[in-house]
Amino acid sequence: MHIPDGFINAPVAVTTGAVAVAVVVVAVKMTNKKIGEKQVPMMGVLAAFIFAAQMLNFPVVGGTSGHFLGAALAAILLGPWSSVLIMSAVLVVQCLIFQDGGLLALGANITNMGIVASFSSYYVYKGIDVLLKHGKTGMLVGAGVGAWFSVVIASLLCAAELSMSGTSPWGIALVAMGGIHVIIGIGEGLITAAVLSLIMATRADLLKLQVA
Amino acid sequence: MKHSFIDQYSGLDSFVHRLDPRTKIIASIAVILVILLTPPGSWKAFAIYLLILLGWVWMARLPFKYVLKRSLVILPFVVMIAIFIPFFKEGNEIWGWNVWAWHIGITYEGLAVLVNVIIKGWLSMLCLIVLTSSSKFADLLQGMYRLKVPLIFVQIISFMYRYIFVLIDQAMRMQMARDSRNFGVNRWVIFKTMGNMIGMLFIRSYERGERIYAAMLSRGYTGEFPTTSRLRFRLTDACFATALAMLLICPAIFWW
Repeated sequence: MHIPDGFINAPVAVTTGAVAVAVVVVAVKMTNKKIGEKQVPMMGVLAAFIFAAQMLNFPVVGGTSGHFLGAALAAILLGPWSSVLIMSAVLVVQCLIFQDGGLLALGANITNMGIVASFSSYYVYKGIDVLLKHGKTGMLVGAGVGAWFSVVIASLLCAAELSMSGTSPWGIALVAMGGIHVIIGIGEGLITAAVLSLIMATRADLLKLQVA
Repeated sequence: MKHSFIDQYSGLDSFVHRLDPRTKIIASIAVILVILLTPPGSWKAFAIYLLILLGWVWMARLPFKYVLKRSLVILPFVVMIAIFIPFFKEGNEIWGWNVWAWHIGITYEGLAVLVNVIIKGWLSMLCLIVLTSSSKFADLLQGMYRLKVPLIFVQIISFMYRYIFVLIDQAMRMQMARDSRNFGVNRWVIFKTMGNMIGMLFIRSYERGERIYAAMLSRGYTGEFPTTSRLRFRLTDACFATALAMLLICPAIFWW
């Protein structure tokens, strides 16, 4: 959920903005160290991929449609730091070209959907992968659950930001955002697992990218 | 496929289009920040911001109809989140009725929050639209770089911008092919199909990325991007910034 400007107040916008800037700067350093500036074209194309994947709609219930978010997929395929960069790039472009998400709310959106979604899904995925002894099942279940977590945690954080700004009472924000995303997350989880299973079957070498 | 609405008006020539992108980025951030900091219910202040923004739209020679139409992007979020506020916020009830055991009421405080959010959200949206429709995307990126955004991040975005349309076309072709094959009947097959589509899109994108990188390497790419255009902070930028700052301070003087 892209927060537009005006829905979060100045203190929340500035705080989340500072968090986003700090983490993106660290992500730039980490990615630079691991893969070097030469991989920039690849990162750009993969950011465009996430953007395009988000434009694919599928029917949900009664005429509404959902779309894929992709933070979990990016984190699982490329590692959490690269995922932070890619998702932030996607969010900046969505803000500046499609006015999807506000300019001062960019920090909050990057924190929710870039940083927290990437790291939560990555570590849930890794945890389940280790628990299930690195098998194919472990990866698929880990990816599914991790993707579900990424969506739900990002929406809860969004609800928290809205209620801290006084825009929406905590209870309502929690139900409106959290409730819907618990269901949306299932779709995200199933799709992420299905993507991983396809890549395993066709280009298993791409699963070892884990650049940073 | 059609992407004509993007950058539709950023190629115009006007006083605003000729400003340094850095001036416009900082001005937009300042305007939105001031809008956010304005206390709820300061109608005069909001009216002044609206006049400033409409003046900006006029100076940039953007069609008002286009700007208004684009600004409706904000509606889904209002409907999803803000529309419930008047019903749930505690406070003085201005309107209420009983539906069986339920009591539904609209409170004054809740309505005030809703109006505040809609006004602030819409004004900020106008500002963002003027910023993005009065500057070329490449100039905005260069402005971001000169405002100390890390180079690697700006480069990722500029690559992304180059390939977005290619990949969107690819994704839309897949979607069209999918929809023409009786998609959406079985709920479980939906996720499998979506997974396969996105997986294919990923592999194609990855391979495209590899080809692009190899092509660039063979043409002497070293990780640097030389540019020819120079940004200049001119006298007009200084005038624009000063005028805007003075106009923005006006409402603050009204309240004191």
